[in-house]
Order: sequence, then structure tokens, then C-alpha cells
Amino acid sequence: MSKDSIELLKSHSRRLFMQRAALFSGMIALGGGSYILNPKKAWGADPIKVGFALDLTGPISVQGIPCANVAKMLVEDINAKGGIIGRPLQMYLEDTATNESLAVTRVSKLVQKDDVDVVIGGITSSMRNAIKDTIINRGKKLYLYPQLYEGKECTQYLFCTGPTPAQQCDTFVPWLMKNTGKKFYFAGADYIWPHTLDAYAKKVVEENGGEIVGEEYSPVDQVEYGATVHEIMTKGTDVVFTTLIPPGLPVFVKQLYEAGFRKRGGRIASVLYDESTMTISSPAETEGLASCLDYFRAVDDPFSKELFEKYTKLFGTKNPLSAAGGSTGTYRAVKLWEAAVKESGSIKRDAVAAALDHAKISEGPGGGAEFVPGTRHVRMNMYTAVAKDGKFDIVDKSNGPVAPKECLPK
Amino acid sequence: MDIIPFGFDIISSMAIFVLAVLGLGVIASMMGIFNFAHGEFLLVGAYTVYLAQANNIPTWVGMLAAPVVVGAIALVLERIIIRRFYATPVAAMISTFAIGLVLREGVRLLLGGQFYSVDAPLIGSFFVGNVAFSKWRVAIIVATVLVLGVSYLLLSRTRIGLYVRASLENPSLARASAISTDRVYAATFAFGAALAGLAGGLMVPIYSLNADIGVPFLIKSFLAVMVGGMGSLGGSAIGAAFVGAFAAGLPWAIKPVVADVLVFVLAILFVKYRPSGLSSPWRR
Repeated sequence: MSKDSIELLKSHSRRLFMQRAALFSGMIALGGGSYILNPKKAWGADPIKVGFALDLTGPISVQGIPCANVAKMLVEDINAKGGIIGRPLQMYLEDTATNESLAVTRVSKLVQKDDVDVVIGGITSSMRNAIKDTIINRGKKLYLYPQLYEGKECTQYLFCTGPTPAQQCDTFVPWLMKNTGKKFYFAGADYIWPHTLDAYAKKVVEENGGEIVGEEYSPVDQVEYGATVHEIMTKGTDVVFTTLIPPGLPVFVKQLYEAGFRKRGGRIASVLYDESTMTISSPAETEGLASCLDYFRAVDDPFSKELFEKYTKLFGTKNPLSAAGGSTGTYRAVKLWEAAVKESGSIKRDAVAAALDHAKISEGPGGGAEFVPGTRHVRMNMYTAVAKDGKFDIVDKSNGPVAPKECLPK
Repeated sequence: MDIIPFGFDIISSMAIFVLAVLGLGVIASMMGIFNFAHGEFLLVGAYTVYLAQANNIPTWVGMLAAPVVVGAIALVLERIIIRRFYATPVAAMISTFAIGLVLREGVRLLLGGQFYSVDAPLIGSFFVGNVAFSKWRVAIIVATVLVLGVSYLLLSRTRIGLYVRASLENPSLARASAISTDRVYAATFAFGAALAGLAGGLMVPIYSLNADIGVPFLIKSFLAVMVGGMGSLGGSAIGAAFVGAFAAGLPWAIKPVVADVLVFVLAILFVKYRPSGLSSPWRR
């Protein structure tokens, strides 16, 4: 190894260290994966305690770390601007370590010992299901869930700020049919999110006169897709709508590329794909891949651009601000909750929940957002983007905010 | 008409599994230790190739370096940890598990948990008629045949191989005949690890680098070694071919979710009715 590349490696690992350091700087580590960020300077009022339960270690840490970064950035911002209702925010961060049983213990500590006023977090649906009872029923706290998910979460006091199947399909599927073709193949991982999302997407395909040529679910850790790719190729598929997740996803994308799927005019659609997912496959393999999310780096409203720059300056590029990992949802969760506390002038659960029911923010990543009253889900802009040379270009913006269509009164 | 892509899929999957299992098979059959850090040796091999790419060194150089790097790490680990547990195989197994955990979480921290694609030296595929053949998968098939051949010759035709087999079958007699079994064990462990490193390096373009790249292979590798029979390297290779063929072949006929379970059911039935493994008729 040349001296130059050794220097490069050194600077590489130093940068990595700095990225974690940026998250934890100013925080007090309490051991066992607990951290506190105290408000700077002296305040005349007691702080409002905001609890975050995020995966900072384990496989989902890739999504949890940017969420924690956003949370810290916002808490510091809010404190610098005088806090909420005259009180500063004190941030409690628990590492849920991609481990549901451990998470329940840590969240219990958060709601009982630390007695936080609100909990934001949980990334996978299995994590949300594991911790929601502890937060809402045992802890009597408000809970905000930031990640895109399969919908159908209608628990009282649980507010969802990520995109739902309706938001990721209603504009996206018609765009795919118009710009690629009408023959859809669904290839997913075998768990709840792909099954539920696909059920919705299939409905939209059929309503628009498309055809479903095949559907296949594989074990989440499967890393061979020869059989599925062969079926896709022989059935004349136009669009492969995939809900596979890593580690299977890059293998599947590569095998489709090698089979000549794109060369033949086919397109891969995946609503899990964002800028941070881009490193997973080479640019040639993802060329033409389409995704639909609430934010992309290419969104050109000034607020989104500024937010991205600020985030990148603070935390670097390794774990970027991106939509599919829940970090834009975390932004909305904190800011919508802030708006609700301001409106209600209190931090009592019922008062804040009543204000959250119709809370609204005018700015955010990808635009403003507002809760649809009575549903505890957010209405927001959605963007369709296509990968080109390893970057996403926006090709379609929803005509105004898209409705979440969840938990509607019957 | 579908026979050619089907056949290619199965053969390439067999090659990948044989390559992945060989290192585990060497250590299991020659030393009697189930190496739970096997998946992480694959990972470190893969990470070496990624480092090469990140520093603009051609990936094939990284692939050649991978076995050296992993072999060297394994040698150090054997000297300071594993050799203390030869008398107690269960403790040895648990110590390798701990080593694996440290390696995996270390790499995860370095990668920030992200996935990274690594380019193969050969990209894309060539077409024969309508059938696509992935160039890199073809290369892996060739590499597997070469590695199998070299390993076989090394263990059966050379003096080193003789020492290894002597140390396995009768350690006291080997020591009495002036063979340093201590060194032979260290070298065998390093060799097995180096094979895993090479496999990881060759496989990473297919799977994209991530901290958990070795995990799916660990359980299936054990399955392969059990099916093949613990006592022989040839058995491990045959067992790996068996597992690889079914892992890729069954989804062509039945739902992948069922196929995943069926591979294990078949393997368990096999081990039940043929506990000494596939290779028993060919062994002494």
C-alpha cells in the first residue's frame, strides 16, 4: 500500500469517528446505550423531556443513526430559539439495538424512570409493535412513529409521520404504467410490510387497467434469485415492483441487470430506495430504477436544500438525511409535536394529542405536512424519482399533498 | 428450453457454496473444531476487496490479498486464543463465536452499517442465444474448481498434507515422529481461514458488502459439513454442493419460502438416516 493510500485510510477512519462524534458530542453517556442531551445555559423553567428510542447499533442502525442526528439537530435548534412554551428541551436517547426484547426494557426505563413527556422512535414495525404498549398503556405517554410502513396502525395516542402504502402507490403506480408498461411482477420479502404494501399496490394496478403477471415472496435472508428472475424474464414483465430488502435486494437487482431486464425495456420499482440505499448496487445496475418517497435530495424547494446542507455540515455524508430510513419522518414528528405543544400550551398527554390531531407545519423536507384529523396520519407531498448515474432525478411531483388513507372512520 | 438457465443457476450456486464451505470444512475435518467465526472470515475477505476498491486499487488485487490478510489474522487469533481450547472443543467453538462477534461489529462500525457494492473484475454477462451467463459467476465456477483441485493436491500429495493428516489421526505418534503438531494446527487453521477469506473476496461482487454478509452462509455451511460428514474435506465439498444445488434449484419448482425450509428438512432427514454423511462410502 502506498503512503498516499495509507493517509487516505487514516483520514477515512477519522471521518467515520467524527461522524459518530457529531451525534454524541455534548451528550452525556449514561452507559448501557443511554444518552442525555442537556439544554445549554441556565433556564428559569424545568425542561420538557423528549424521549427517543432508536436503533443505534445492529443491522437497523443504518436507519437509526440519521434519525438520531435529525432529532439532536432539532432539539438544539428549538433550544437556541427559546424552547417551547418557555421551557427548554432535554433529549433522552435510548439505543434499542435492533433487538425488540432489549428495547422493551430500555423504553420502560425511558417512560418510568426518566418519565419523559413524549417518545419518538421505533423503526421497524416489529419494533413499534414491541414498544407501543409500554409507552402508551403502561407509561401513559404520547408516541410518534416516524418510518414509512404498511399502515393499519390505529392505536390511540400513536401518531405516524411516515408515508403509508396509499402515499407510496397512488401517484407512483399510474406513473409507472404510463412511462414503462402495464405488466407488473411483484417480488418481495416474506413479512408483513411487503405483503400489505403489495396488496394495496396490486389494487391500484388493477384499477388502472394493468396486469399482474406474477408474485413471489422469499425468505428475508435469501440471496439467490435465479428462479424468480427467470420467471420475470419469460413472462414479458414491464415493471418489477420489489419489496425485497437487503441483503437480498442487491443480489436481485444484479441478477435482473445481468439477465438483460433493463436492456429489454423493463424497469425496477422500489419504494424503499433512497440516496442512502444507492451505495448498495453499482450505478449501472440501478439505472432507471424508480422510487416514490416524501423527500429526495433533488427536491428543489429552498427549505429542503438548506436543511440537507445543514445536516450534512453537522453529521457528514456517511449516514445522510434521506427519506426511506425514517429521518425525514423524525423531522416531521418533532416539529409537529412542537406545534401541538405550542398550541395547547401544555405537555399533558390528552391536551397535546388533541392539538396533534390537526397539527400542521408549513415547512419540512419535501414540503409542509399536516395530520388528517381523526386518523393520526400525515398528509404530505410525494415525489417520484428515477436513478440516473447513481443519483435520483425527480420525474414527478404529486399534485399537492397526498392523503394517507389510513384509520378512516367507518 | 429452460434447462440451460436452470442448470447454470444450480451449478453457479453449487460453486458459491462449495467455495464458501471449504474453509469451514478444512478446519472442521482437520482439527475437529466448528469455527463459528467462519462467516466473519468471509466478511473480512470481502472487506479487504472493498478497501482495495475504495483506494482505487483494482479489485482483483484485493481478491488476491484477501486470503493473505484473513490467514494472517487467523494465525494471530489461533496463537493467542484458539490454541488454548483444543482440549475442550465446546469452549473452542464458543471462543470462535466471540471472535466472530467482535469482527462483525467492528466492520459494522467501520461501514456505518451501510451496504456497499463492489465491482467484479468482470462485469455484466454474455449471451448465448437468449440465455444470459453472468461473467463473474462463470469466473467463480472456474475459481472453485481450481481451489478444490489445489486443496486436494496439497492435502493428499504433499509432505505438508501428510503432516496435517498425521496430526489429525494420531497426534501423539505424530509428535513422536518429530512433527510439531502445534505448528501444524496453527497452519491448518490459517489455511482454512485463508480459504474463507478468498471465498469472501470472490463472492462480495455478487452480494454487496455489509457486516452480515457471512451470516446466511454460516448455518448453511454447518448443514453442508453435517451432510457431507465431519471427518473429510471431500465430504464437506460434496455436502456444500448438495446444499447449494437445493438452495438454488428448489425455488424453480416450489415457493421460495417453502424451499428454504425444505432444504433443512431434507438435510435433517439425511443426517438422521445417514449419520456419518454422504462421503462415508469413500472413506476408509
